[in-house]
Formats: sequence, C-alpha cells, structure tokens
Amino acid sequence: MGLKKFFIKKKANLSALPVVGPLSIWILLFVLMPLAVIFIISFLGRDITGSIIPSFSLDNYRLLFSEGSEYAKAILRSILFAFATNVACLIIGYPMAYWIVKHGGRFKPLLLLLVIVPSWSCYIVRIYALKQLVGYPGILNNFFLKIHLLASPVEILYTAPAVVLGLIYIWLPFMVLPVYASLEGINPALLEASVDLGATPAARFLTVTLPLSKGGIFGGTILTFIPAFGDWLVPLLMGGNKVWMAGNFIAHYFIVIGDLPLGSSMTVFLTAAIVLMIYLCIKLGGEEAIERIL
Amino acid sequence: MKFRKKGKVLLVIAIIGYLFLWGPIIVLGVFSFSSDSYGTRWLSFTAKWYGELFQTSAIMDAVIRSLIIASVTVLAATAIGTLAGYGLYKYKFSGRRVLRTSILLPITVPYIVMAGALLVYFTRVVRIPLGYPAIIVAHISFSAPLAVFITLGRMQRIDWSLEEASIDLGANRLTTWIKVTIPLLLPAIFSSAVLIFPWSFNDFTITYFVAGVGTSTLPLYLFSMLQYSLKPVLINGISLIFILLPTIAILVISSLQRESKKTR
Repeated sequence: MGLKKFFIKKKANLSALPVVGPLSIWILLFVLMPLAVIFIISFLGRDITGSIIPSFSLDNYRLLFSEGSEYAKAILRSILFAFATNVACLIIGYPMAYWIVKHGGRFKPLLLLLVIVPSWSCYIVRIYALKQLVGYPGILNNFFLKIHLLASPVEILYTAPAVVLGLIYIWLPFMVLPVYASLEGINPALLEASVDLGATPAARFLTVTLPLSKGGIFGGTILTFIPAFGDWLVPLLMGGNKVWMAGNFIAHYFIVIGDLPLGSSMTVFLTAAIVLMIYLCIKLGGEEAIERIL
Repeated sequence: MKFRKKGKVLLVIAIIGYLFLWGPIIVLGVFSFSSDSYGTRWLSFTAKWYGELFQTSAIMDAVIRSLIIASVTVLAATAIGTLAGYGLYKYKFSGRRVLRTSILLPITVPYIVMAGALLVYFTRVVRIPLGYPAIIVAHISFSAPLAVFITLGRMQRIDWSLEEASIDLGANRLTTWIKVTIPLLLPAIFSSAVLIFPWSFNDFTITYFVAGVGTSTLPLYLFSMLQYSLKPVLINGISLIFILLPTIAILVISSLQRESKKTR
C-alpha cells in the first residue's frame, strides 16, 4: 500500500516536472542562491578596504550597531517614515476605496483604473513630477509668488516631510486596491442585518465593516509599509543627500564603495526586519492579508 | 442628515486622493508645452521640447534598450510563469509549498535587497556579464512570479472538463496542450504580458544595480538627466507620454474585451 502510494506520488511528480521545473530552477538559481550568498558574505570578515576575508565573523553586524552608527539611525528613520507613509495611505486610501465601493456604481472598474494607471508610469518620472510641483523653483511656488499669495518661496524639498510625501505619492495605489477588494467582498446582508438590529451608521462601520476589511488593511500595509521601508530612490530624489534611509546605505556600500561584507549585513538586517513585519501583518490580519496582496 | 455628511467627507477625501495621484503628472504634462527652460512657469506655448526629445539620440537609444529588455523579459517570464502556474494548480508534488513560498520572495522583499544580492551573485559567483544578460535574467526572476499568480487566479475560473474531453476523445497530451490548454490560458498569458511589460520597461532599482556601464535603459537615463541636470525639462514631455500610452492601451484593451463579450 505504502509502495503504491509512493509510486502514484512519484508519477505525479514526474508529470509536473516539465511545467514547474523551469521556474523552480530559475527561482533556485536567481532568487534563493543570491540571497543565500549575501547571507553568507554578511558573516565573513572584511579588511580595511572592504574586501572579503574568508573567515567567520560577527564584526559586520557589530559595526552596524556600534555607538553612533549612521545605519542604525537610518533603520529607525526608515521605520518611522514607512509607518507615517502607511498611516497616511490608510487615511486617504481607505475612504477612497470605501467611496468607490459605495458610490462607484457602474464606473467602479474605471475608478479603480484611475487609481492604478499613475503607478504604471516610470517611478523616476513620477517623483520628478512631484518635485517640479512642490519644489523651488517649482510650479506651485512660482504660481503663488506670482499672484502674491506667498511673499517668499517655500522650500520643502530635502526635508523628512518631503521624503514621506514622496513615499505616500508612490505607494498610495497599493493601499486602495487590497482595501477595495476586501470591502467589495463583504456580504451586504451582514450590513442590512446590523441596521435591522438597530446599529447606527457609525456603530455599523466600527463593528461590521472595519473588522471585515481587516485583511485588506493588513494586505495594504504589507504593500505600502514594506516597499516604503526599503525605498532608496524617493529619499535620494526628494531628500537630496540629507535624509538617508536604510536602502541608501545599501546602495552606497554596494555600488559606490563596493564593500560587500558590510553591504550584505545591512541587506540581511533589512530583510530580517521586513520578514518580521510580514509575519506580524499575517498574524494580525489573518490569511486574507496574503490573499489580498496577490 | 448625519449620514449625508459622512458621504460628503468620503467624496472630498476621494477627490483629494485622485487629485494627489494625478495632479503632479497632469500639471507636468501641461507645462511640457511651456517655453520656460525649467518647465516650472508658464511663458508661452511651444512644442519645441517634444522636437528636441525625439531628436536626442541618447534618449531614443535608451528607449530602444528598454523595449528590447522588456520584450525578452515578457516572452521568457510569461512562458515559464504560465507553465508553473498551470503545474501548481493541476499537480500535487513534493516541494509545492516551498515553491509557492519562494516565488513570493521577489515580490515581497524590497527591490534594493534583491538588487544588491543579484549584483554580488552576478559579479562574484556565477559571472553573468553586467548589461543586457544580467538585466534580463534579473527581470525574469521578478516577473515570472507575477505571471504565476495571474495564471493561478485565472485557472480557478476555467472549465477544465474541456481538457478531459479532449483526452477522452483520443487526443494525446501534446495536441491537447496546443489545441485546448493554451487557448484556455490565453487570457492569463495576455494579462501577464500586459502587467510584466510596463514593469520591466519602468524598473529602475534592479536595472541600476546590474546594468554595468553602457546599458542605460530609459529610467536609468532619466535618472542621470536629473542627477547631472542635463535638460530635465525634456522629462516633462516624457511624463505626458508615459501617462497617455497606458491610458490609450487600457481604452483599446477594454474596448476589445467589450467586443469579444458581444461576439460571445
């Protein structure tokens, strides 16, 4: 019996091989192996120039979190920025999704597309557009100066709020979509039942709608918090060289300095922090959080 | 009364949201017709930036590079991704869960992590030359999982009895694949391609890490224009094109879908 079972399984394995084989090999070679390599390198020693010394060492990690480490500060800053982005996206994105579900009618697909389309244009172009609008010299500043609403130009670029503004701008669509999907999935009978049972609109929202859209909220959190946390281009363009996030250190150590051990340990730590975040989101938001991001 | 007020607040936030998403790009598009060489104030109407844009060979070369990379990526990633999506749905095999979890990695881990890892891997371990080969390999790693998930999502809505019928009627596996399975999967293949192409065309971070010298794609070239202030005003025009193209594409696709629904 056991043998028969084994053979059946084996046969299924063989017929699955030609279809799932190519992707499996590809993922192993070009996703898992590269991640494994930097994981290993992050535990190797380095000399003063940043070249690899093939011996086990925890020095890279010690260096990351030594007194006054700029990287440690950048990690904290990234968490703060990502959190602010996430909350802002929720505050704007949740009502947007709610409005589309309630009042979109037959325009729902179009309204959703209007949320997605901006994210299809190149990231660089979008950040540049935002910069041209709010910077100085910028379109808004020039306009308000001309109509004498402003006496002197307002420069918000190259500050922390500017970076967060850029992050919200880039990642907002990724909050609207999962929240929309979970709101759309709520059975209307539940809402009617709560009204029949005497719930006020506010109570109905808090006790029925909000808990039922939890999966969408945490799905959206995965999709906005994590990319914002690992972003490096928005801080580079909106923050100049003044407001570095963790990703900027990684780019700097890998590309400008070429210090692989230190760069790898920064990357591994960032990934570990993110895995922890995803774990928390799934724990709080349930399996639905994962479904909503796909 | 209270309910009405709530509806208004929702509407206002929704309008703010849409304005926020679209405002900067639309305003920039409008200012691409201003003769101001910074593109931030309205002087007089001109289309000269567009002329300059299409005559700047460095930009056109970058566009062609991006198109090549995106096309190869779409073909390869859609092929292996759709196959794997089919396999994950149809077969139970050992390592299925592991595969499903690991294809989530490139989607959920920040770009910078995979970009750094791939750079180290390509230069120190497998020695895939930076430039086209490295960029395309990296792009496939990111976009094949997208095709898998799109295929998995679509497969639940497909009537698989057609496949069984074909085998019952005596067609062999290969004929069934070509005549039945692939036509059934076409919508999934098409959606994957539509999603992957702009992703690959627009990608900055991963390409930036593994491009090496001399393989500047359009996003990379735009970045260098910003970094070294090489006529960034030309980007104003590009932003309008970037918004118009997908919009037109969507209109065409949705009208095609409506047509096909009618004929059905």
